[in-house]
Amino acid sequence: MNISPTEAEEILADIQRMEQKTRHAIASGGTTITLIVTGAVWLIGFVCTQFLPEISPYVWIGLSILGSILGTLWGFRMGQRVRNPEFGATAKRATIFWLLLVFYCIAAIAIARPTDGKQVTTFIILFIMIGQLSMGLLISFSAVWWALPITALALVGYFFLPSIFYLWMGVLGGGGMIAFGLYIRRRW
Amino acid sequence: MSNLNETIHQPVRLRIMAALVTLEASNEVDFTYLRELLDVTDGNLGAHLRKLEEASYIAVNKVFVERKPRTYVSATAEGRRVFQEHVAALEAILKGK
Repeated sequence: MNISPTEAEEILADIQRMEQKTRHAIASGGTTITLIVTGAVWLIGFVCTQFLPEISPYVWIGLSILGSILGTLWGFRMGQRVRNPEFGATAKRATIFWLLLVFYCIAAIAIARPTDGKQVTTFIILFIMIGQLSMGLLISFSAVWWALPITALALVGYFFLPSIFYLWMGVLGGGGMIAFGLYIRRRW
Repeated sequence: MSNLNETIHQPVRLRIMAALVTLEASNEVDFTYLRELLDVTDGNLGAHLRKLEEASYIAVNKVFVERKPRTYVSATAEGRRVFQEHVAALEAILKGK
């Protein structure tokens, strides 16, 4: 089979377009929705904790339930498009892992006895990010590395900006996730 | 030039393979989703998938999800290897420009 260099160039460009389109379709479905929903929950929840601490527990409960429902529905929808046939067994292990992580987080908080809400929040964020990174490294979910900058933001906010910690996490943590989700959706 | 694979070289099949090798190795994609991604008809996609399956470049997995039949498609290890060789051959032609 003989083709000219010009034809080869066009075919390679077509392959690249298709690969990019596939990556974009997958990323704009799963990762971006996760980032945008989580980011919105954090933005509203943390800003509310900063300015309206008396009602923030109810806001967090409501947002967590809403976020979980949206995440589950979207995960179910995405799971029907692109799936891993061996995921069933992995999903069970992942569920057990998260349940154990919650237990360890509660145990760590009980032992450390944090004196204020910021310490409890930072503990919880760190444990969630450990879980997120572990899932990414073991199951190969795409684009999970965002757990690292979120961890860095939480530590910087906790140690250097305690007076605006919640606002910091809401605007930069939550807002950053929303911005990154929108960026992936439009540019990838 | 002899490294160009005639089965994969057909434009629709090439795009099918490009989409499938982009997925993680253990993942498979729903037929309907793939059809939307490639913007082709059911019949056209089905015919090309059969060709690729006969060549062992893809695996077709038919399952029932909530009592509805669904077809999932994935690239085999052989398919991924052949596709990479095909891309390398195209790049070699381009470099010889």
